[in-house]
Amino acid sequence: MPTSSTTSAAWRRAEARLLAWFAAQERRAAPFQRAAWRAWHEGHNGLIHAPTGTGKTLAAAGGPLIDAVLRPRTGLQLLWITPLRSLATDTAQHLASAVEAMELPWRVLRRTGDSGSAERARLRRGACELLVTTPESLALLLSYPDAKERFANLRGIVVDEWHELVGNKRGTLLQLGLTRLRHWLPGLRTWGLSATLGNLDEALRALAHDGVLIGARSKKKTIVESALPESGERFPWAGHLGLSQLPRVLDAVLKARSSLVFANTRSQAELWHEALSSVWPESPDTLALHHGSIDPKLRFAAEEGLRVGALRCVVATSSLDLGVDFASVERVIQVGSPKSIARLLQRAGRSGHRPGAPSRILCVPTHLLELAEIAAARHALETGHLEPRRPMRGCLDVLAQHLLTMALGGGFTADDAYAEITSSLAYANLPRERFDAVLAYLRTGGSALASYPEYQKLVETHGRFHVESGRIARMHRLSIGTITSDGSLHVRYMKGARLGTVEESFLSRLRPGDRFLFAGRNLELVRVRDMTAYVRAAPNRRGGVPRWMGGRLPLSGELSDELREALAGGIPASAEMRALGALLDVQSRQSSIPRVDETLCERTRTREGDYLFVFPFAGRLAHEGLAAVLAYRMARIQPGDYGYAVNDYGLTLTAARMPPLDEETMRGLLHPWGLRADIRASINLSELARRQFREIARVAGLVFNGYPSHGKTLRQLQASSGLLFDVLRRHDPAHPLLWQAEREVLDQQLDYSRLRACLLRVSRSRLLWRETKRLSPLAFPLWVERLRGGIAGDDWKTRVERMLATLEAGADA
Amino acid sequence: MMTHDIEVAGERLTLHAQRAIHWAARRTLLVSDVHFGKGAVFRRAGIAVPSGDTEDDLARLDALIAEFAPERLVVLGDLVHGAATERSGWVEKVRAWRESHTDVAMDLIAGNHDRHFDAAALGVDVRPDRVLAPPFVFAHHPSPHADGYTLAGHVHPGVTVRDGWRRHRLPAFVFDREVAMLPAFGTLTGLHEFMLEPGRRIVAATPAGLVPLRQRGRV
Repeated sequence: MPTSSTTSAAWRRAEARLLAWFAAQERRAAPFQRAAWRAWHEGHNGLIHAPTGTGKTLAAAGGPLIDAVLRPRTGLQLLWITPLRSLATDTAQHLASAVEAMELPWRVLRRTGDSGSAERARLRRGACELLVTTPESLALLLSYPDAKERFANLRGIVVDEWHELVGNKRGTLLQLGLTRLRHWLPGLRTWGLSATLGNLDEALRALAHDGVLIGARSKKKTIVESALPESGERFPWAGHLGLSQLPRVLDAVLKARSSLVFANTRSQAELWHEALSSVWPESPDTLALHHGSIDPKLRFAAEEGLRVGALRCVVATSSLDLGVDFASVERVIQVGSPKSIARLLQRAGRSGHRPGAPSRILCVPTHLLELAEIAAARHALETGHLEPRRPMRGCLDVLAQHLLTMALGGGFTADDAYAEITSSLAYANLPRERFDAVLAYLRTGGSALASYPEYQKLVETHGRFHVESGRIARMHRLSIGTITSDGSLHVRYMKGARLGTVEESFLSRLRPGDRFLFAGRNLELVRVRDMTAYVRAAPNRRGGVPRWMGGRLPLSGELSDELREALAGGIPASAEMRALGALLDVQSRQSSIPRVDETLCERTRTREGDYLFVFPFAGRLAHEGLAAVLAYRMARIQPGDYGYAVNDYGLTLTAARMPPLDEETMRGLLHPWGLRADIRASINLSELARRQFREIARVAGLVFNGYPSHGKTLRQLQASSGLLFDVLRRHDPAHPLLWQAEREVLDQQLDYSRLRACLLRVSRSRLLWRETKRLSPLAFPLWVERLRGGIAGDDWKTRVERMLATLEAGADA
Repeated sequence: MMTHDIEVAGERLTLHAQRAIHWAARRTLLVSDVHFGKGAVFRRAGIAVPSGDTEDDLARLDALIAEFAPERLVVLGDLVHGAATERSGWVEKVRAWRESHTDVAMDLIAGNHDRHFDAAALGVDVRPDRVLAPPFVFAHHPSPHADGYTLAGHVHPGVTVRDGWRRHRLPAFVFDREVAMLPAFGTLTGLHEFMLEPGRRIVAATPAGLVPLRQRGRV
């Protein structure tokens, strides 16, 4: 590894070639780009953070290209990892032109899940020097016995859009892959490209242990505007569709050459697309829909339409948050609060790609209080207060998958593998027992407590683990990766064109002849066969819109902090807060507006019911857990069945008979002490874990989805993850994957750490106890949310009694 | 309520929450889609399913036999899931279980999965296609027969039941005008969802009892 801190004359000559190429395009290399090239040359790892469109790709590519001119080598030299297949083509083209400019004899290839067989064959012959690929395809490459030789000449790895990967299991999988490569090649350089994050240091450590952070100073301004209600306009106090704002959105769209309309959920996007279609004054071909469940071909067509400027407007979800730049997009519209500051910034950045042009985003609130969120988000952007994306720690399902990959890609010994894996940030604190438990799962099926005859995934010979069965190797390679769809059915026309996927739970409620809205089309279900729903076009819609799981994202912690500031009048005046003035007056007259160090609780008794409202502003997930805990604690004072509802600001609880409540009791109920035990007692964790188990089982190779090309031969190996969960709980309760499922429920579904932090904050804050005669503006949106059930016993006996009781009630009616 | 009586084709059938039907008039116990050895097929393919499913299923059959003391047990197809190998411990367990019930006649209507394995080796009489037991026809595939009302398996029927804000996907008995479908008896079996419609009765089975369903959208 070269360690000289100064650059040689030869290096400067090579750099000059790159600079000349910049000059030929009438551009100049930015200081951060040149700093990155030098840092690469000096042997550093690094993370380059800058907004899109500032030249990050060349900042990262320059170093290795200059190096390659100085010290030519043969074989695969640079690995370029991208989170999106659709980005791979563009990136490969971009890199190929830089390679050409440096007069390097490099071939640039891409390999993703949808590469053709010719490309794969060329790759197998080792015929490229620069490979653009995805984390999953890298894992696949690592699973071949000659993986180590294949990568022997690698100079470095660049991970594009690292911010998209760092916080999820794909990022964990990639960390393990990088660790594998660094273990083989100690001098390997790892670089990442990222948007701005609240935890860049941690993101760098997850990528490469240590290195340099290089940031581009951005002159690009982001302008956040709101569609403000006209004075006297009745604006809803609650809701999440915002379709009443259709005329304003249409107006904004028609004023721009080309726009993106972002919605927060796929269902919302479908409905907005339908609404815009119904008033669209131009050719229907100029309006499109884009979300993650729509078939890749249709999505690609929408992207292509944006790129060439054939589309006036695309309604999208986070599926278009990242990806290829669309130079022609002039206007970005956000329906509803973006729920996170980073997302607002990212979406705004999809517009204004012309140099010097600011990014502009128009936010369309779906209810009045969202104006405060928008004002808070703008203030946060101005003060650089962005959310972190925390790397996941110790995921046992990803570990299981990776160990099998290691076994296929040359084999391993337990001690070496443990040392290698714990050198990654994701597994730095993994206890040896847990590692051994995962290894045991791969060898024998589960924990020592249960028996798994016939099962042998990993075989041990002289202390080395490897895979003997060709069938297991094949199945593993087919199911590598952490993101695949499960429980979803393909939707296609009778004639054959694919439209995308919807969740089984939605389709199972439909019968042939029923209609629904999907991929921007009115469809009629014809039949379901072989995991495919066959549909035909319907003249109009009578039915529903599919709802996909994991729809609504919670308000981020950073944005809710800002929101509390905003409501308390702690941020500079804005048009949004002025428009909210009347509403906030009502709130302070009827109840109070909590200051930052206060927690508001309201109790409202009306003829219709007796409601407790608590406003911790901790996001809907944490409120979900808190509602269950409060109901459980209240039931200890006054037994009963408590109903609850949550949103991002707070929660409400109600019961036929409420316990006596006052400020002192409330303080006791909100105490952080005993939280974990009360969560266990109040929430049916195993029921939640059973749902969470789907993904875990898939990642860890416990369920196998089968592949269309393999027809029905694998059909008899399909079992639902729910069934496996039940069998494991019964016969192997110590199974490491069950542990993983429960942990994910606490961490992800209930946002346990945020819930705990919230209660600690509440216990230190002043409690505002208000008994109100009417629902306050803050309480109203909670009151209109559908109440959900309480926490009364949840074993099968109680459930059957409850179902039978309802049955009798239904029969009387 | 672990059992629920229902009248079909003029006969009284007792449904049991353990996913079986007892026809008291003929002292016949009916189950379907047992899928013995499914766990073993999975384990051979590298999918870790702990063993224990066979013992569970046998223990449930024991309990049903003890409760009803039937003269005859009829399996409406798919007694086994796939071919057995020399390492398949479940075959011995099932054979031993069969030998402990010599006083009960056992018939299997061969299903699509049964072609991989000779169930006769377990001491079970294998009947191809269907068996007439007026007013019923016992069959594996749920297609109507002119000879009588069909009791069948194969589809693993299930239903989603609302319970307040919760929804449960449960195995279920489905009675249509000419055909009834039994839920799969085996532990490791999936569900194919059915909906209530005119002329159809559905009884959902939970581990703690049966829930008869009436109108759509309500229990």
